[in-house]
Amino acid sequence: MDFEFSSDQEMLRDSVRKWVQKVYTFDQYRATVKQGGFSQDHWTQLAELGLTALAVPEDQDGLNMGPLEAMIVSEELGRGMVCEPWANACLAATSILRDNASREIQKQYLPVIASGAKKVAVAFVERAARYELSYVSTTAKLVGTQWQLTGGKSIVAFGDAADAIIVAARCEDQSIALFIVNTKTTSVSNRSYCIQDGSRAGEFTFASANAQLVCTNGLAALERAADISIAALCAQAVGAMDQLFAITLDYMNTRKQFGTAIGTFQALRHRVADVKMQVELARSMSYFASLKLTAPDAERRYAVSAAKYQIGQSLRYVGQQAIQLHGGIGVTDEYMAGHYFKYLTTIELSLGDSNHHLGQVATRMTDTAGVFEN
Amino acid sequence: MDLQFTQAELDFRQEVRSWISTNLPTDIRDKVRLGHELSKDEMQRWAKILGAKGWLVPAWSEQFGGPGWNTVQRHLFDEECALAHAPGIIPFGPVMVAPVIMAFGSPAQQQKFLPGIASAEVWWCQGYSEPGSGSDLASLKTKAVREGDHYVVNGQKTWTTLGQYADWIFCLVRTSSEGKPQTGISFLLIDMTTPGITVRPIITIDGAHEVNEVWFDNVKVPVENLVGEENKGWTYAKYLLAHERTNIARVNQSKRQLERLKIIAKSEQSNGKPLIDDVRFRDDVARLEVDILALEMMVLRVLSSEAKGKTELDVAGLLKIRGSEIQQRYTELMMQAAGPYALPMMREAMAAGWQGDAIGADYCAPLAGTYFNYRKTSIYGGSNEVQRNIIAQQLLGV
Repeated sequence: MDFEFSSDQEMLRDSVRKWVQKVYTFDQYRATVKQGGFSQDHWTQLAELGLTALAVPEDQDGLNMGPLEAMIVSEELGRGMVCEPWANACLAATSILRDNASREIQKQYLPVIASGAKKVAVAFVERAARYELSYVSTTAKLVGTQWQLTGGKSIVAFGDAADAIIVAARCEDQSIALFIVNTKTTSVSNRSYCIQDGSRAGEFTFASANAQLVCTNGLAALERAADISIAALCAQAVGAMDQLFAITLDYMNTRKQFGTAIGTFQALRHRVADVKMQVELARSMSYFASLKLTAPDAERRYAVSAAKYQIGQSLRYVGQQAIQLHGGIGVTDEYMAGHYFKYLTTIELSLGDSNHHLGQVATRMTDTAGVFEN
Repeated sequence: MDLQFTQAELDFRQEVRSWISTNLPTDIRDKVRLGHELSKDEMQRWAKILGAKGWLVPAWSEQFGGPGWNTVQRHLFDEECALAHAPGIIPFGPVMVAPVIMAFGSPAQQQKFLPGIASAEVWWCQGYSEPGSGSDLASLKTKAVREGDHYVVNGQKTWTTLGQYADWIFCLVRTSSEGKPQTGISFLLIDMTTPGITVRPIITIDGAHEVNEVWFDNVKVPVENLVGEENKGWTYAKYLLAHERTNIARVNQSKRQLERLKIIAKSEQSNGKPLIDDVRFRDDVARLEVDILALEMMVLRVLSSEAKGKTELDVAGLLKIRGSEIQQRYTELMMQAAGPYALPMMREAMAAGWQGDAIGADYCAPLAGTYFNYRKTSIYGGSNEVQRNIIAQQLLGV
């Protein structure tokens, strides 16, 4: 049992943090949101840092790094509220293709994902499904040798900046399979917009759109990709909470009321201790989720749900209290605390909220309890 | 970073597990499992079995007769004890006074006191709190005045846990009223049979006699029972608080109690169906389960960082707060699980050796009492509000 990071991992963290500090200033964040929530320039820089290649196998021009490196990068991107949906493309989509796709599809996509030339998103949401991944109403039909999709997916990362998206669809035998669709294909339409964290997303509609089959065991592959994404979201939340907490402590030691720094008031100091508690509980469970990503399916699903539930509780408390501790400045658009609050809230509502994951934990509870027994 | 224990650690766990299963008396195990009270004899019987093996003092170095275990081994031992429903170690001797005697006591004090602690022959209690000094411990007034080769002690201590059984008490006493309150405190070891000491029971809201008042009326204490230097007692007490930082989370006990809660919730019926199938109750159990998981991960992080000799992860206060909240929560849920069957007040049903018929299931009788009793966990050991003050001070400065 060991919770220390290796020196390579520390170097990775350091390089991502430096990039975020240099490039992703608060002004730059706001500029990115203003231009639609995605910057191709940032994406190119992430590629230059090697981050788009992180989970791609070495023989496909990647770095073949694991869940802990993914967690470290996610934490640092969260610390700077990086809008570009790195985890969706470079962890979730990459892992689906890497672990399930034919050699031919891998060759077509993995090297260009690694180089940053192409952005592939995973679509997780359907209108009536809410957070249930097995609820799939988009249909797939084999016409001759060509698969065609009909239906739609919601709140797909990247929106119109995606070059291709991975879509779960129900086949004629009712099984769920995963397909990859070129977004520029005719009969794929989209409407794109910013979501609450400032990043870009889109509604995609398929009207007999041509698609390539990625794999037939679609649900298991999608669940695994979702868990990888959730672990990344947990880490992003930890990074964002760390930063928001640091900003809040600074403010409390600076802002004066009644002739003294507000950080001297006991009512507020106790709140600070409670926020610290939630940050550390969240960090502990973020580690837990990433360390369990390689566990057998049932164990992994349980661990990820437990982590997402904890992170949901933590980020809500930390976000709300950070705003409260700031007072009025916390609800202004020009100050960064409110943006972190929105960034964190977006994480809670992504890939299963707290109620959803509490339900998952409850139905997966075993007779025993503890880190080593589920 | 790796969540798995090493093979050596797993082997150690197996060794501990099989030793406990052979050596823990079944009558004691059953009482702990059901939450019934243990007599002094039962508590001491198990402590002496551990003592003979050298395992009553897991944190002691080999120099003083400890097993020389590292923090992970100690955690595994603690977990196995909880798993086996072994009684908790009474901490006052092995965990609280011994490290102070080792660090600041004279060789003569070490020779005189440590063997009796390690073997469980001598029972210790703690004399810190006073009626006027709770969270503000440094305001304590019990006075020790030097007269020749002894101190004369006058005053009153309170909340003295299991003091009714104790042979010795370690006390913080005031030896000076000059300067800051903290700088006039000394650390004295006092024989409970000394004339002038009176122990009076305090009955808590669960009806139990667990804590006491201890009165000192011109009690003569030999000067050789002063630990370290006069007026340095506060420093020694703080050293003691810094010891055993992860144990205060009591996460292993909470894990076992969560399992017990699940057993109760499966066994209790609501509208003719198992209570655990009631979604509202089940979700409460699930919330507690995540809380315990998160606490355990936090404890493991601290253990890992301590094993590497690092101290930057100073979250002792967080562990105390969260650990106590979780203990209070499981006692509450267990009581709620029993529902109306938690209501009959059957003090005798919890006492050592009671053989009568239970009302409801045999686990029901102690549940409400334990819930009432466990309000103490957020009050003792530095109230949770004092812990929050300390945490805030680390984060915000004074």
